[in-house]
Amino acid sequence: MFKRVATTMTCGWLAGLGFVAGCGDDAPAPSNSCADVTGTCVEIKGGDVDALLTALNTIAPGTTIVLGEGTFAMTNSLTIRTAGTHLIGQGLDRTILDFGGVTAQINGIDAQGDDFLVQDLTVQDSPKDGIRVEASTGVVFRRIRATWTTPTDSTNGAYGIYPVKSKNVLVEDSRAENASDAGLYVGQCQHVIVRNNVVTGNVAGLEIENTQYADVHGNTAEDNTAGIVVFDLPGNPIVGRDVRLRDNQIRHNNHDNFAPGGTVQKVPVGVGTFAMASRRVEITGNTYEANDTADIALISGLAIESDGTKWELATATLAGEWQDLGLLPGAAGTITNFRSENIVVANNTHAGSGLHPDPFDPLMLGTLLILSYGNGNPVDSVLYDTIGEPMFHSTNPTMNTNANHVCAGGNTTGTFASMTLATQSVTTIIPFFRPAAPFAPFDCTALAGGPVAEVVLP
Amino acid sequence: MRRALVAMLIAPLIAACGDDDVGGGVDLSRPVHVVLDAPPPALLSAWNLFAWDPVTGGVTFNPTDDRVVPYELNTALFSDFAVKERAIYVPPGATATFDPEQAFDLPVGAVLVKNFAFPADLRTPTEDVTLVETRLLVRHADGWQPLPYVWNAAQTDAVFTPAGEVRAISFVDAMGAPRTSSYLVPQKNQCETCHARKLTADATATIVPIGVKARHLDRAHAYGASGTMNQLDRLATAGLLAGVPALGDIQPAYDFRTIEAGGVVAIPPADVDAAARSYLDINCAHCHAPDAVQGITSQLFLHHANTDLFRLGYCKRPGSAGTGTGGFEFDIVPGSPDTSILYFRVHTEQVGAMMPLLGRSLLHDRGAELLHAWIAAMTPIDCASM
Repeated sequence: MFKRVATTMTCGWLAGLGFVAGCGDDAPAPSNSCADVTGTCVEIKGGDVDALLTALNTIAPGTTIVLGEGTFAMTNSLTIRTAGTHLIGQGLDRTILDFGGVTAQINGIDAQGDDFLVQDLTVQDSPKDGIRVEASTGVVFRRIRATWTTPTDSTNGAYGIYPVKSKNVLVEDSRAENASDAGLYVGQCQHVIVRNNVVTGNVAGLEIENTQYADVHGNTAEDNTAGIVVFDLPGNPIVGRDVRLRDNQIRHNNHDNFAPGGTVQKVPVGVGTFAMASRRVEITGNTYEANDTADIALISGLAIESDGTKWELATATLAGEWQDLGLLPGAAGTITNFRSENIVVANNTHAGSGLHPDPFDPLMLGTLLILSYGNGNPVDSVLYDTIGEPMFHSTNPTMNTNANHVCAGGNTTGTFASMTLATQSVTTIIPFFRPAAPFAPFDCTALAGGPVAEVVLP
Repeated sequence: MRRALVAMLIAPLIAACGDDDVGGGVDLSRPVHVVLDAPPPALLSAWNLFAWDPVTGGVTFNPTDDRVVPYELNTALFSDFAVKERAIYVPPGATATFDPEQAFDLPVGAVLVKNFAFPADLRTPTEDVTLVETRLLVRHADGWQPLPYVWNAAQTDAVFTPAGEVRAISFVDAMGAPRTSSYLVPQKNQCETCHARKLTADATATIVPIGVKARHLDRAHAYGASGTMNQLDRLATAGLLAGVPALGDIQPAYDFRTIEAGGVVAIPPADVDAAARSYLDINCAHCHAPDAVQGITSQLFLHHANTDLFRLGYCKRPGSAGTGTGGFEFDIVPGSPDTSILYFRVHTEQVGAMMPLLGRSLLHDRGAELLHAWIAAMTPIDCASM
C-alpha cells in the first residue's frame, strides 16, 4: 500500500525541515515527491482518502507523507499522534483537503507530536478548527491555506491555523480566511515566528494569545473585523511577553463581526491592532490604513474582565520566564497579568483610519470614540486606555503619569490619545488627553529591560 | 470434558451457518491468541476472542479457562443507540488489580473487547442485528493500544481498519421512530480523544480504559448457564481480578436502565442527582476532568467525584464555546435547564455545538431528559446578578 523510499539528496536540497520547489527550478508551484525526501516517506494519490487515513494511523515516527494533486473528500479528521509526521501536498491550489462533507465535530488536521510539518496544501470547511496542533515542540506551517468557502458565515469553524500549547512554532507564507473566530491563532506557545502570511475575511485576523517570544512580521491582515492582536486571557498559566509586531500591512479591517458567540463577538468592527493584558510588546514599522474604528489600542485586561482576582495566577503554576517582568502581585502566592505595560509603538504609518468607529460595539468603545471625536473626524492613531495610571489630565502633560511605561515617542507619523476609559460614561465624556508628538509623558522610545530579542528557532 | 462442553456450545452456531467457519477463523476450542510483538492481525478472528452468529445476533466468548468474561456498565456511554457487548480478557497466570476509583490495573496481554451493533428495530434488539465494529484495547508492556476492527457486509469477520469509517445507519428507535445516524467508527489515532489521560500534571498523555472501574461494574449480570452474580465477584471468582473489597464498600454508579425504559419519571426524584452525575461521569468526564487532556481548557469538570459546584458548571461562563453556547451565557443556570449551555449542547444535533464531540450524531432523548430534570430541580440562582 505504501511506497517506502529512502533516498539520498541528489541536487542541492536543503536539509532539515525545508522542502521547496524542485531542484534547479524556480517555478512557483512546488512538485513534491518522496524522491525529494530523506527518510521514510509515503506517497498518497490525490483524492485517496482511505490511503491517507490508513497511513496517518499506522506510520512510524519520522514519516513524511506526500499528498498528490487533487481534492480529498474527507469524512473525518486527519488525526496525527505520531512524532515527526510531515504532511506535504502539491501546492495550496493543487492539494485540497475538503471537510465540507464531514458530519462529525472534528478539526480538519488534528495533530499532536513533536516535529510536525504541514506544507503546500489547503484545508477547507472544517467543522471546528482548520489545523490544530497541540502540545508539540517543533511545528511548521508553510505555504498552506486554511479557509472556509462561504465568507461571513457564523457556522464556519473557529480557528484556521491554530498552534496551541506548543514550542518552536513557525508559520510562514500561508493564508487563513473566513474563520468565525481567528484566522491565525497562536495560543499559549513559546518561541514563535509568524511571517509573510495573509489573513483575510476572519473575525480576528491574527491573534497572539498568552504567548512568549513571538516575532510577527511581513504579514498582511486585510478585511477582518480586527487585524492583528496581542492579548492574555485570564487564567492561563503562560504570561504573554516579548512580542514583536513589525513591518506588517494592516488595512481595511472593517468586516462585520460574524462570530457566533464568546469574547470575540465583542471585538469592535474596524480595529487594526490591540494589545490587551500584554507586556514587552513592540509595534513598529507597520502600515495601517483605513481601519474604521482605530489603528492601535492599548487596553488593560480589566476592560474585558473587571474583577482583578480572576487574573490571579499561582506563581507555582506559571510556565516559562516571568520573574523579571515585575508583575503586579495578587493574593499571597499569586501574580496578576491584566496590566498592559512596557509597550513600544514606533515608526508605523497611518492613513485613513478612525473615520467611522463601530457604533454597535458591545463594549461601547466605538460609541465613546464617536462621541469624543465627533462624527467624521479621525480618531487618533494610538489609543491608550489609561487604566492603572495614578494621574490623568485632559490637557496638562505634567499631570499625566506613565506608570505602565507606554512608549509612543517614536511614532511621530501618527497621533496619540489617552482615553481615561475607566472614568468615561456616555452621558459625561471626559476630553481625552491628546498630546502633540512626541506625546510626553508617553514619549519614551524603548522597552524597560531592553528590546525584544530576535526569535531564533532551533 | 471441557472440549465436549465447547462442542455443545458451538454446535448450534455451525448448524446455523452451514459449512462456513463460524466468525471467520474463530475456533473456540483453542485459547485466545494475543499478539503483542507483531503488527495487529488483519482479521479479528485471529484473536479468537469470540464467535458471532449474525442469524441469532448471539456472541459466544471464548470459554477456554474462563479467561474472557463479559460485563456491562451501570450507566453506559451513549453512542448513537449502538447496542454494545463488552468483555475483558486476562491472560493465564496474570490478574488485574482492583482500584476503588481509577480503571483497574490490567496485566500485559489483557484485552478489552467492545462490540457496537445496530438492530433494525431497537424494540426487538436481538433480531436483525448488524455488527458494525469491534474495538479492542490491548495492554502492551508500554501501555494500551487501541485497535479498530470493522465488520464486513457478510458479517463473517472484521477487518483491522486504522482509518476508521463513517457509515450511514438507519434503524427504528425504542419509540418506534425511524432514525438515521452518520455513525463514526473512529480512526485509530482518534481513540486518544477520549482515552487519553495525564496521570500526573506534567506527564505526557497515556491511553487508559474508561469503563473498567469499580463504580461502573458493581452490578449483577446474568451469565447464562452459570447464573446471575455481581460482576466484580465474578471477576474475582474467576481469578481475573485481585483485591476486590466487600461490595458494600463500593458506591456503584446509577443504573440507567430504568430511565432508558421508562423515562426520568420512572425513578424517584431523590435519585435524579445521582443518576445525572453518573450519566455525566461516563459520557463527559473522559474530557471534562482535571486529569483529562481534550477538555481541560474548559475547566468544566463533570467527573463523579467533583464537588466544586462552579467547576461543575453552576453560573460558569464557558472558555471558548463559540457556536456551542446556543446564545446562552452560563454552562448551568441552576433551575433553568433551557438557558443552560450544558443542556443545550447535549440536546442539540447541530454539528459544531453538540456534546460529546465524538460518538454522538443523534439526540439521546433519555439522557437529555435526565439532565433537564437535574438542572430544573436545582435551587434557582440568578447567575447574571452574581
